[in-house]
Amino acid sequence: MNPSAKQVVRMLAMVPFLQENQGIPLVELAREFGIKPAKAQRELEMLMMTGWGQYHGQMIDFDMTALEVDGMVYIRDAEFMARPLRVSRSEAAALLIALRSLRQGATDEQTAIIDSAMLKLSAAAGTEVDDSIQVRPPLGVDEAIQATVTQALANGRQLALAYSTESRDELTDRVVEPHRIFDHDGRRYLTAWCHLAEAERSFRLDRIRSATMLDQAVSAVAEHGGRGTIFTPGPDGASALVELAAGNDWLLDEYETQKLATAADGSVQARLFGSDFDWLSRVVLRAGGRMKVIGPAELADLVSQSAAAALAAYDGNIPD
Amino acid sequence: MADRKTERLMNLVFTLLATERYLSKDELRTAIADYREQSDTAFERAFERDKNELRELGIDIDLGSHDPLNSHQGYRLERSEVELPQIDLTVEEGALIGLAAQLWDHSGMSREATTALAKLKSIGNDFDPSSLRMAEPHLTASEPSFDAIFNATSKRIALKFSYETRDGSNSERHLQPWGMISYRDRWYVGGFDTDRNGPRLFRLSRILGEVTNDGEPDGFEVPEDADLGQLAQALYPSEANRTAILHVTAGRGQGLRRHALSVSRPREGIDELEVAFAEVADLADEVVSYGASVTVIEPPELRAAVLDRLRKIVGLAK
Repeated sequence: MNPSAKQVVRMLAMVPFLQENQGIPLVELAREFGIKPAKAQRELEMLMMTGWGQYHGQMIDFDMTALEVDGMVYIRDAEFMARPLRVSRSEAAALLIALRSLRQGATDEQTAIIDSAMLKLSAAAGTEVDDSIQVRPPLGVDEAIQATVTQALANGRQLALAYSTESRDELTDRVVEPHRIFDHDGRRYLTAWCHLAEAERSFRLDRIRSATMLDQAVSAVAEHGGRGTIFTPGPDGASALVELAAGNDWLLDEYETQKLATAADGSVQARLFGSDFDWLSRVVLRAGGRMKVIGPAELADLVSQSAAAALAAYDGNIPD
Repeated sequence: MADRKTERLMNLVFTLLATERYLSKDELRTAIADYREQSDTAFERAFERDKNELRELGIDIDLGSHDPLNSHQGYRLERSEVELPQIDLTVEEGALIGLAAQLWDHSGMSREATTALAKLKSIGNDFDPSSLRMAEPHLTASEPSFDAIFNATSKRIALKFSYETRDGSNSERHLQPWGMISYRDRWYVGGFDTDRNGPRLFRLSRILGEVTNDGEPDGFEVPEDADLGQLAQALYPSEANRTAILHVTAGRGQGLRRHALSVSRPREGIDELEVAFAEVADLADEVVSYGASVTVIEPPELRAAVLDRLRKIVGLAK
């Protein structure tokens, strides 16, 4: 959609919205429409150039004192458009696609509400939106485990987890108070207050080995706990400079990296970010010789020692 | 310039909305300053373009007349057609729709979702998702070709585009898009590839440059047996139909243990895992990532693949 079409759609939606919300602060109007206040102000000024009879001066007006002095928006002479236009096909699709993806991780009770909301929205759009647009959930999440975790979150109950951590490659039992389940980089996470760590932690759902909903409710603190985000390895954590031969750089797709240079032969140098050296060394080992550590030297040593030790385990019992 | 056009389109919509009767082209021209100031031919061109643009936005201007015998036709917007009918959402439905709208990030359809909510708020609905506790998927669409492909898919318009395959070569492709799939924050379009004469799946991020329409709306039929899910299988690992025997240090190899069919303890400190797998290469990558904690017992081709990788890693260090 070209910029002026986007603007027309937004401004047409603003006219009935402002009539329903007389006196709304300009900043709030901007937030409702996902634009900056300065832009909202400009669009109000443009609305004053419009109306149903430009020639006769029947134009939309605003209470300029309220706007200039208090930053509040009162619209006048816009009764000819008291109702919004229909929800367009793509607007309905944006919501329906999102509702359908929520439905995949919903409890039975939530599913029923989603279904009735979807029916009403389709009616609002005056169009059926079929399932030709699909969002697939992250792979590797056990459905029974996800159902238990979702139930605990919805009902505000504590959870007992057996969780395998990747960087330390170990299995731990913990009791957690679930806050939020969300996707990041194609993985599904649970953020929760962890009684073992006595801190907020993120857990990848595909690494939860078992989950049991407990009778204990989450504590008041947890209930109002932060929305939670996940740790993203970045410039502050450990990192390595790595080199990959031409055509192998897709190996980096999975990870947080910064591509630095491509040589004449097509080989790529990149900085790979991780939580610690153990994790970085596992990433390099996994590449099976297609990723070379340029630095730091400690990491290069760790990788080659691990590989040598693994090779030694085959000595004697493997015919070469 | 853009502002003038925005204002003109708004004025056209408002003028047509404010009247019950059909307005002639001349009446519209008189009512809208920007049209008035144009020459006859420029006005005709602008008016046609504006009507088309509004139609693209889902605002269909009616051409007709109240009097079937009257040859003077006029234009109007039929309120019952263009206005949002009353929809009353429950608090719970509103909360869910509010959360759904938040799932899209800025590169996706968040603008569309935001406008839809504003319209529904204007007729008295509330959207407060703060009480909801449920899994929140992340929806994004950063691929530049998303809008064009979404539009073509909804309207069944054939497409052509330049596509880069994994080996780095590229060619022009012609596609009848059946549907789109998002998996792990990436969009794919599936449909009938008229060059390859079969169903194919394309990753949007591998499309080079512009996507262009290669036909009219409803230019093809989606076959009854078209199966987007079948096409999407290409995105997932193949089904595990073989097993491997691995020796794993106690407490280690957690990623492998999740998929173990059985675990036994042949000697102190060592677990024997039976693991299902599909591709030797994929399992070899994972085994190697655990270093000395995991040793392959069988099958021999997995052992060979692991040894090959380990030797290459050691070789790199020299």
